[in-house]
Amino acid sequence: MNPWIFVGLFFVVGLLIPVGAIGIAWLLGPKKPNPIKQSVYECGIETVGESWVQFKAQYYIFALVFLVFDVETVFLFPWAVKLGALGLFAVIEGIIFILILVAGLVYTWRKGMLEWA
Amino acid sequence: MTGEQIVFLVVAFVTLFAGLMVVTTRNLVHAALWLVAALFGVAVTYVILHANFLAVVQVVVYIGAIAILFIFAVMLTRRDMRDQGPQMNKNWWFGAVLAVLTFGGLYFLLQGWEGMTKTATSYPVGFDAISELGNALVSPAGYVLPFEVASVLLVAALVGAVYVAFNPRNGNSGK
Amino acid sequence: MNLTSQDYQVLAPYILLTAWACVLLLVDLFIPKERKSVTALLAALGLAVTLGVTLSQVGIEQVGFFNMAALDGFSTFVNALLLVSGILGIALAHGYVKRMGIERGEYYTLLLFSVSGMMLMAQATDLIIVFIALELLSIPLYVLAAFARPQLSSEEAGMKYFLLGAFATGFVVYGTALVFGATGTTSLAGIVAAAASPSTSTLLLTIGAALVLVGFGFKVAAVPFHMWTPDVYQGAPTAVTAFMASGAKIAGFAALLRVFATAFPALAVDMTAVLWALAALTMIVGNVIAISQTDIKRMLAYSSIAHAGYILMAFVPYGNPAVRDVSIAAGLFYLVAYAFTNFGAWGVVIALEKKEEKGLAIADYAGLGRKHPLLAAAMTVFMLSLVGLPPTLGLVGKVYLFRAVIAGGFTGLAIIGVLTSLISAYYYLRVVVTMYMKEGEPETVRETWLSLTTALTAIVTVVFSLLPQSLFEWASTAVLKLF
Repeated sequence: MNPWIFVGLFFVVGLLIPVGAIGIAWLLGPKKPNPIKQSVYECGIETVGESWVQFKAQYYIFALVFLVFDVETVFLFPWAVKLGALGLFAVIEGIIFILILVAGLVYTWRKGMLEWA
Repeated sequence: MTGEQIVFLVVAFVTLFAGLMVVTTRNLVHAALWLVAALFGVAVTYVILHANFLAVVQVVVYIGAIAILFIFAVMLTRRDMRDQGPQMNKNWWFGAVLAVLTFGGLYFLLQGWEGMTKTATSYPVGFDAISELGNALVSPAGYVLPFEVASVLLVAALVGAVYVAFNPRNGNSGK
Repeated sequence: MNLTSQDYQVLAPYILLTAWACVLLLVDLFIPKERKSVTALLAALGLAVTLGVTLSQVGIEQVGFFNMAALDGFSTFVNALLLVSGILGIALAHGYVKRMGIERGEYYTLLLFSVSGMMLMAQATDLIIVFIALELLSIPLYVLAAFARPQLSSEEAGMKYFLLGAFATGFVVYGTALVFGATGTTSLAGIVAAAASPSTSTLLLTIGAALVLVGFGFKVAAVPFHMWTPDVYQGAPTAVTAFMASGAKIAGFAALLRVFATAFPALAVDMTAVLWALAALTMIVGNVIAISQTDIKRMLAYSSIAHAGYILMAFVPYGNPAVRDVSIAAGLFYLVAYAFTNFGAWGVVIALEKKEEKGLAIADYAGLGRKHPLLAAAMTVFMLSLVGLPPTLGLVGKVYLFRAVIAGGFTGLAIIGVLTSLISAYYYLRVVVTMYMKEGEPETVRETWLSLTTALTAIVTVVFSLLPQSLFEWASTAVLKLF
């Protein structure tokens, strides 16, 4: 448990700093609202139309492919950590594992799913 | 009450609350973000159970990939596709009764189980959980077979998901 | 500690088929769109080669991968049946997908993945393998059910099947977790050993086993876990439904039989009552609701629910060693009968189906007897077989099944089986009556592979019923390797 206390501490501190900064500004700052001040901050050109629009399905397909290979890394990570001690058999196994997934990658690639078209 | 128990109670409460918000909030993006919070709570629970690798997997896969997939799926919707209907249907009380009964049943069931009252023991000095996991995954006496089948399963799922997610009107079906 | 050639031999058919599927996935990318028949042929070839390997393993009995998978008479028999189902599924699909404009190489690759998952499930002797094989067989099936997208009914079928299937898989995983909690192992052999020790919590083990049963109940469409079946079977492309109705059922029952007979014989007292009720309920509900159906796909869906009930009957005496082997043999025989009849019946449905889900009402079969006497004769054979009338395999299957159940001391269940079969005669024979007694101008398609499949299954259904002894003897050698 010990080493994780630092991770927890990191989150607490990370939360406290912005909360503190915003809180102090809220406490100390003068409040003189007017309509222009309260409008949503926009950088650059004013937005046209809805802010919630339908995105390309390609985003979704990318995330999907990413998910599959993300899960792959989860399986390969323990394998890679132990690789030096495991011997040839384990290496071959890992390679088979990767090769099967490469087939999936080739499939998606060749289907044009990885193109931003 | 030890510090670990306090952390657990806080985390469990946050996880449950976030889970409740996922299903009750009307804004899909907020629901996805609450889901991230709930998944994160589960990751912390893993840490409390000394399952370090699982905690990292929880963050990498569930928050890093699945929650992102959810958010991308939300991005496929439009504002005018929002559901305006009631959030409960007329069978809500039945669902509630069933949920309470299931919880009671599980509680009763697990109460008599010795594993319920055990606390996680610390690893012996020099114990490397990830190496052990790696060993178990690929040693012949361990889980070689599920390990390899998992990769086949991932490919099958990839092919299926790509087929389903692919938009036939896009026109790149020719290949 | 290394794997020996014995280990690979145990899973040789599975490994071969999976490798074939992966290679086919890549080869298909280089097959031009108008020549996807080549993919179909290659997929069928892969299944045929694997069938050859499987048949060469008849009589071998061993475990491999440190008790993760077993090769025994049971798995060989089930694997052979699954592979034949796969081949029939491709034969039915080949012309159908072309006609419906959904001909894509993925169809055949996903089908191969699904069959390989089914085969692994029949051989699994560890709950982890059962789970992962269940996923491997289900995920391609979810996609296949939605294969006719963007057609709405197919999308709906895929979505429903996916949601409820994922839910069912959750039950299996939860059950496995509870069993693991009670026994500390997922290996079937380990569970048997642990169940014998007095320190094991029987309650936890029983609930775990019950949850596994619920999960598989979904998969094989047993009442009350059958709700998804009519919608999915109706919405999915017919060729997929044909494959799904036999393949998923065979695999689900095979896994259920193996898990319960090997790992949970100690729970037989409790489980027998539950299985009894499930079987009775499934037979009654499936057959009664089927009466009011006017759509042939929905009717056959309810018929498949009802048949899940008949097959479940073979499970009821699983804890009684005196009749276990004969009831397993009867169950397997019934699965064979059901698989062939089912493929044939769906083949006829495919022959009459037209685009945009036309030609699927039972009324559309009017006049088939006069216009296409051979097709009508084949359909008559399948309907008789589904009822369990002579001269068909369905009758022989039911006779063996009822005999085994009565030998196990469950006469009441056998009576329910006979009575529900009588009910089922009403709606099966209505199709026959419509074909021969009513006037109509049904249009059918002629496709070589479709006609061949229908003819073949009709011949098998009749001929094997005249000499069922050899098939039943093979089924009788298909005993489980127990621990």
